[in-house]
Order: sequence, then structure tokens, then C-alpha cells
Amino acid sequence: MFIEKIINALTRQISHRPDHMAFCIAGEHITYAGFGNQIATIRQALRTIDNKNHNVGLVTNDDIQTYASIFALWMEGHAYVPLHHTQPAERSHEIIGQAEISLVLNSLPGGSFQGARLLITKDLPAASVLHEPVVVPDSALAYILFTSGSTGIPKGVPITRSNLVVFMDAFMAAGFEVSEKDRCLQCFDLTFDVSVQSFLLPLMHGACTYTIPHDQIKYSYVYGLMEDHQLSFIVMAPSMIRYLRPYFDEIDVPSVRYCILTAEASPLDLVDEWAACIPNAEILDFYGPTEATIYCTYYRYKRNGVNKQLNGMLSIGVPMEGVTGLILDDQRNILGKGEKGELCIAGGQLTLGYWKNEEKNAEAFFSMEYEGTPTRFYKTGDLCFYDAEGDILYSGRMDFQVKIQGYRIELGEIEHHAREFMQGNNAVAIPFQNTSGNTEIALFLEGEEESPARVVQFLKTKLPAYMVPTKFIFKPLLPLNTNGKIDRKALKAFLD
Amino acid sequence: MERATVIEQLTPVFRKIFNAPELEITDEMTANDVEGWDSLSHMLLIADVETAFSIKFKLKELNKMRNVGDMIEIILSKA
Repeated sequence: MFIEKIINALTRQISHRPDHMAFCIAGEHITYAGFGNQIATIRQALRTIDNKNHNVGLVTNDDIQTYASIFALWMEGHAYVPLHHTQPAERSHEIIGQAEISLVLNSLPGGSFQGARLLITKDLPAASVLHEPVVVPDSALAYILFTSGSTGIPKGVPITRSNLVVFMDAFMAAGFEVSEKDRCLQCFDLTFDVSVQSFLLPLMHGACTYTIPHDQIKYSYVYGLMEDHQLSFIVMAPSMIRYLRPYFDEIDVPSVRYCILTAEASPLDLVDEWAACIPNAEILDFYGPTEATIYCTYYRYKRNGVNKQLNGMLSIGVPMEGVTGLILDDQRNILGKGEKGELCIAGGQLTLGYWKNEEKNAEAFFSMEYEGTPTRFYKTGDLCFYDAEGDILYSGRMDFQVKIQGYRIELGEIEHHAREFMQGNNAVAIPFQNTSGNTEIALFLEGEEESPARVVQFLKTKLPAYMVPTKFIFKPLLPLNTNGKIDRKALKAFLD
Repeated sequence: MERATVIEQLTPVFRKIFNAPELEITDEMTANDVEGWDSLSHMLLIADVETAFSIKFKLKELNKMRNVGDMIEIILSKA
């Protein structure tokens, strides 16, 4: 399935439109033939290496060799494990150790890889014949992504070839029409799974992928690509769009046909304003944990209608084809419409479990009888409910539920009202322990310094007193992590 | 405004944002040359430069800004 649907989809493009552009990287175009040659070249080198382990490290330099390495590894029957180009050597070593990596592909010389053999993929002896891919079962892995674990030790999420095929089928079933004429944005780090959707979709359809060089300022470069190259398919995180907000009146890109918002909750007011910048785009909000392969639910934004929202955040909509999404209470009872509980996901997109981590697997996955069949579920840790029409409303992370003076409160609600006070600028509430060991809430506000008393006064008209934060920090901008999401850890560290 | 005046006024803005009291700016300088110059500090830098020179950059101008020299030229065209 994987070879036919993913690999052959690409090799067909390489043989049918060799002169068509496959990538635009740092302003340089690479044709499908050129990309095919790069893949053949890396495969030729891989075949000379006696590598027993199928998990192969890949340094994310985001050049053409990096992208070609992904397909070369897949076609040789291996899986890639991205190693972030800026991460500390210690973290790379941890990942290499856990995934038992004995070979690392890097397009640039250098780096420290814990005794793993290094293959430099630039300036290899050229090859141009793309041989048939090595046949491995669809149960073999496509990639392992390491996410930060709460204990500080990264957790590996292995995604099989079958997971990825099931995902791509379900994604296309959401109703995209993509052709070789499309120009698609890939602005995510390769250590983050949204990147996989961002480059696979164009490559499977003969379209061109536009990437962001590491030395560029992401948000203004994205806008430059959109405008200079008339991009038609863009995938972005809301926080990136928020960086562009001061310039919305300058942005008008009618070429955008689809805009996917993902990686974090989408504030409806921001989406409303952004929609005017891309007047012809269909906007879809996609939700999903890495554990269920990229996305698993979506909501179609209505341009001239009422959009569903909770605390100012757009609904995450309905499960994708083949995905089961249940809202369960802590006794694993299925909750009815309107009842808030944990969103639990089942289906062919689900990972087999964290890489060699039985303890975490016991916490995060469980099996129960559903519609007469024993079914394996992943607990997303997201607090949600179904509305009367079957759309899912996202209420926040379970971990963001905080108990203060015995009351259970949700940080999203505080943030919603704080954003209103800040006239649409971002606000993030972070719980912290005060010196007496009690939980208090700090509120980070993006924008110019205001008197905390005014914020308190405003919030007291909206929230019960126990929900009003006690500490206020104004920042000109809130930091984002490498996935483009608000960096809550950095904010928490600021409090400590 | 003279180019030298722009550099004189721009230098303290850079030093403050990147927390580098000795930093000397050059035309060829890019984000790669300065520790801590990322998307976030870039936004802060732009905001402070706008305040210091009482100007407003357009997104198109920000996008074409490849190095500090480009920034100085844009400031000269506005201030």
C-alpha cells in the first residue's frame, strides 16, 4: 500500500514531468528529475553501507539532500528519525541511543552522533536510475518522531507506513483538489509531523514545495513566498499568523486556494481577519496529536456564516474518515453531547505505542469494547465535548485544568477574556506554586505595559474572583517553540 | 538624515535587543552573525527601530531586508 500510494505516486511524477519544479529551496528551483537523481544518488550510497538497523538518523538541514534522504531511506526499506539541526548533542545522543540508530545522514559535515556512522549526503557520486523500491511490509516504520516527555527524556512516536497511508487517504477525503499546478508551503521543522503532510501532498501530485531557509525570519519569508510565488496551498500555525497581524492591511494573496491552520487552537477573531488576506481560500482547522499521525479531526471555516467556537477558539470539527473520536470520563464511560471529557482516538492512524516505553504506553493507551469490537484508544489529554450537531469543541489541555481554592478552572477561559482585554493580542495563563505551596495563576500578556489593576478590574467583570490571575507580565511578544506554538515552557521558566 | 547618523542611532537599538553592549553593526551583518537573532527578537528589533526613527516599515520592506545595510537604506528612505 505504502509503495503504491506514496512511493509510486512520487516516482510517477518524476517520470511523467521530469522538468516540472518539485522544490523551491532558498530561492533555488529543483525539478522532479533533479529530485529523482538526488534520491538515486543517496540510495546508491546507502547500498554500500552495511546497516542492520532500519531506524536511520537524519539531520534536518532542510536542503534538497535532506528531503531526498527521506525518500531514499523509504525506498531502501528504512525509517527516518529526524535530528534537529540546532538541538544539543546530548538530546541527539539520547534519541540515537533510544532508537538504536547506527547510521546518521547529514548533508553537511560535522556533528556529534554518539558513535553512529555518518553519511554525508552532499557531493556523493551521482546516480540517476531510480531502481524499484525494496519491498517491506506496511507494518514497517516510516518515521519516529521524538517529542519532549514530561520527565525531560524524549519519547519516540513510531509511525508505520500503514499509519501514513491511512492518514493521507483520510486527509484527501476531506476534499482537496490538488494538481501539478499547485504551489505549496512547507514551513514546519522536519521534527514536527505537520511537515510530512506539507511535503507529501505536493510531491504526490506533481506540485512544487516552497520551504523556509533556516537563516530567514520565518513569518516575513512566508509572506514573501506567498506573494512572489503566488502560493496556492498553505499550512500554518495560528501563532505564525499572529506575527503577521500588524501587517494584515498590506496582505492580499488571492492565489491561495487552501489554508490549513494547525498545531494549536485557532482564535476565531484572528482567523476572521486572516480570511480577508486570502480572499479565495478555503480555510480548514486541523487538529491531531503526533500519536495519531498528523491530524485526526477538522473543521471547515465558514466565510459568511457563523463559526462554532469555545472561549474564542474555533471548533476542531469532526473526525476524519476512519477515525473514531470518543469523549470519555475518567471511568471510561462514553459521554453524551455537551458533556466535557477527554478526547480519545482510535483507528488506523494510531501509533503502535511509544518506542520501547511500556510505562508511558500503559498510561496513554487502553483497549475497550467499542461497537462490538475490542478497540485500542489513545488518550489525547485534550478536554473536549461534542455539540448537538456532532462537531467537537476544544476546551483546553487536561493539564491546563488547575484547581485553585478547590475550584476546577480552565486556563483557556481566562485567556479568552484576557485576549478580549488586549484587543485580540495574545494572552497565556500559566499556573505556578507560590512560596506557601499554593497554586496561583500568572498571566502573560502580549503588548504594551498596562496597569495590572486595570486588567484585574476588567477580568473581575467576566470571571469569578478565584479565576482572576495574581501576577501579570507584559511582553512585547510571546515566544514560540520550534513547532510554531506558544512556548509555555519558556514562560513557566520565566516564573521560576 | 545622514547615513552615519542612522548608524549612530541604530547601534544602541541593536545593542539593547541582543543584549550585546559591544556590538558594532555592519552593512553585511545578518541574523546568522548575531547571537539570539531569531523571529521573536527580529519582531522586537523592528518595533524598536520603528520607535527610534518614528517610522513604520511595510511587510514588503521587511521581507526584502537581507542584511543590516538593507535596513539602513530603508530607514534613509523614510526618515
